Amino acid sequence: MNQIFQIIVSGSIQGIIYALIAFGYNLTFSTSKTINFSLGNVMMLGGVIGFSLYVDIHSGNLLGHSYLFPIIGVLVAGMIAGTAIHKFAIEPSLKLKSEFTWVLATLAVGIIIKNAVEQIWSTGDFRFPSPLGDVPFRIFGTGIYPQEILLVVVATIIVFGVESFKKYTIYGKAIQAVSEDKETASLMGIPQHQVVRISFILSATIATIAGLLVAPLTFVSASMGSSLGIKAYAVSIIGGLESGKGLVVGGLILGISEFFTARYISSGYKELPGFIILILVILIKPNGLFGKTMIKKV
Amino acid sequence: MKHNLFFALILCSTFANFAKADEMKIGVYGPFSGGSAPMGVSMRHGVEIAIAEINAAGGILKKQIKMIDRDDEAKNERGGQIMQELLEKENVVAVLGPINTGVADASTQYSNKKKVPQIINVSAGAKVNELFKTNPENFVFRIAANDNIQSKVITNGAVKKGYKKPALLCDDTNYGQNGREKMEAALLSLGVKPVYVGKFKIKDTDMSAQLQEAKAAGADVLLVYGIGPELAAVSSSLVRLDWKVEMIGSWTLSMSNYITNAGKNGNGTKMPQTFIESAATTPKQLKFIADYKKKYNESPIASAVSAAQGYDSMYLLKLAIEQAKSTDGTKIKAALENLTAKYEGVTGSYTKPFSTTDHEAIKESNVVLGMVENGAVVKAK
Repeated sequence: MNQIFQIIVSGSIQGIIYALIAFGYNLTFSTSKTINFSLGNVMMLGGVIGFSLYVDIHSGNLLGHSYLFPIIGVLVAGMIAGTAIHKFAIEPSLKLKSEFTWVLATLAVGIIIKNAVEQIWSTGDFRFPSPLGDVPFRIFGTGIYPQEILLVVVATIIVFGVESFKKYTIYGKAIQAVSEDKETASLMGIPQHQVVRISFILSATIATIAGLLVAPLTFVSASMGSSLGIKAYAVSIIGGLESGKGLVVGGLILGISEFFTARYISSGYKELPGFIILILVILIKPNGLFGKTMIKKV
Repeated sequence: MKHNLFFALILCSTFANFAKADEMKIGVYGPFSGGSAPMGVSMRHGVEIAIAEINAAGGILKKQIKMIDRDDEAKNERGGQIMQELLEKENVVAVLGPINTGVADASTQYSNKKKVPQIINVSAGAKVNELFKTNPENFVFRIAANDNIQSKVITNGAVKKGYKKPALLCDDTNYGQNGREKMEAALLSLGVKPVYVGKFKIKDTDMSAQLQEAKAAGADVLLVYGIGPELAAVSSSLVRLDWKVEMIGSWTLSMSNYITNAGKNGNGTKMPQTFIESAATTPKQLKFIADYKKKYNESPIASAVSAAQGYDSMYLLKLAIEQAKSTDGTKIKAALENLTAKYEGVTGSYTKPFSTTDHEAIKESNVVLGMVENGAVVKAK
């Protein structure tokens, strides 16, 4: 019983991490029907910048100043990254009217970020001490780290915050209007380019915050975002790219299935069930478990 | 005017050639940047200390040693490129290094092709004696505890302490799986069968599922094979599960990226070592540590094993060249295979370390178990 509870806890935390990044995909997709494939590496950027502002890379000790520094650092980094990706990868691609240039452009940005971090920073793996301490506390024998609670709380606030922002504020409604119909929204006086840019900034900032939150649970390294980015994409497909609820469910499915497989089948097949579900979803419900059916007019 | 310049250039180049005549180039390569850099840089420092001593004492065959060092960035393809450069362009007498198994296996063919001896001084997994099959005239030597020896020391350490139900947990790379295979074979020869065999991927950070299964299988000791960061993740997952089990594993557990990443969770972890800085006793070892500290202002050494093996590899090479009385690769190789001088090194004392059929200097008796204690490696109790 204890064991199953531990698996569910570990799996859910992993799932929430996936869902948080998937939420970033969701945001830009809903305004511009594009996905920022560099988001995994933007998340890594958050982890690396947060680490550099908080921990001494050589000794592994804390630099000694407040946790506020890394928080401000990743917020600024996220905004800059979002603006830059929109300006240099998305805008030119959308102008070209080519359907998929942005796929390659954002993938390229991701590779550039990763290589730049490897060159400028380090290719090593480093421990990020949690500001809340690294001693797990126990509920019914299950070890849970304080950082994991923090992650779940912040992730919930972000997802609900952004969803309510979209629903209840006038700016949020503008985002929704653009997502429904760009041209009409433009005619109604909504600056659609602005809205798209803001969605990119928001999504990149969420990713850098995710990086800061995830870092103490994993290690900080230039490659920490690569597989997370891919799995988060799988989560958005499973859950449905346009549904906040779907992402959380999709994340939990993927995270928990990984841990159950590792425990009861084999650690080598850990990722298998998640991707089987992914294929089944694509075959049976291509818009995701919670996705709206899209009609594309040609 | 132009003529003058021309003659000046000719004069310079002949002068440069004169300078070359009384120096001897030794190639050194390894990862001097990136995740394996602590091992690469420490190894290079060890070689540099040896070269400085040798040069101060008059060099080898009255020639000063010049180190030609190259950073392979732990990339396999760089290993091959560097070897070609060292052998074709720099015409080095011999090569020391590298660190990473993949890099070594991608580059040793060049030493055999060019008949230039190479002493691998850190890589544990690289093929050395295995190369005899394809190259009866094998120019590749090693002074490092290979995976066979390490597996034996790990499993012996566990069985000697009375553990009967080991669980094996290794990463899914060639390195980890090779180690698993060898540990299983070593356990079999001791009449012990592992109760659990599991693996993890590079970059995995939560190993609780694997560890739960090992615990459920009744394991009383955990034998691991992998590299620093993932092994540190194993240690923190043990704390998460509140499972106090002894962990013994590959020598990489002595690297700083295990020790700092695992923090206090790493205390008590054991691993095979050829040299333990804090347990140094012989005058040679103490002098080496003091020289290292003086020259590089670093204590403890980032990877003491790499530094010590780097130092000893240079001295074994020196003895061989002196015995061969020549810088000809084939003659140096023959001398290495039949070293008459006894060498008292930092990692141990060597009498005839190599033979025509065995190119491994480190034997099981040179290896001891080290243990992590408060951020440093000490001799295991």
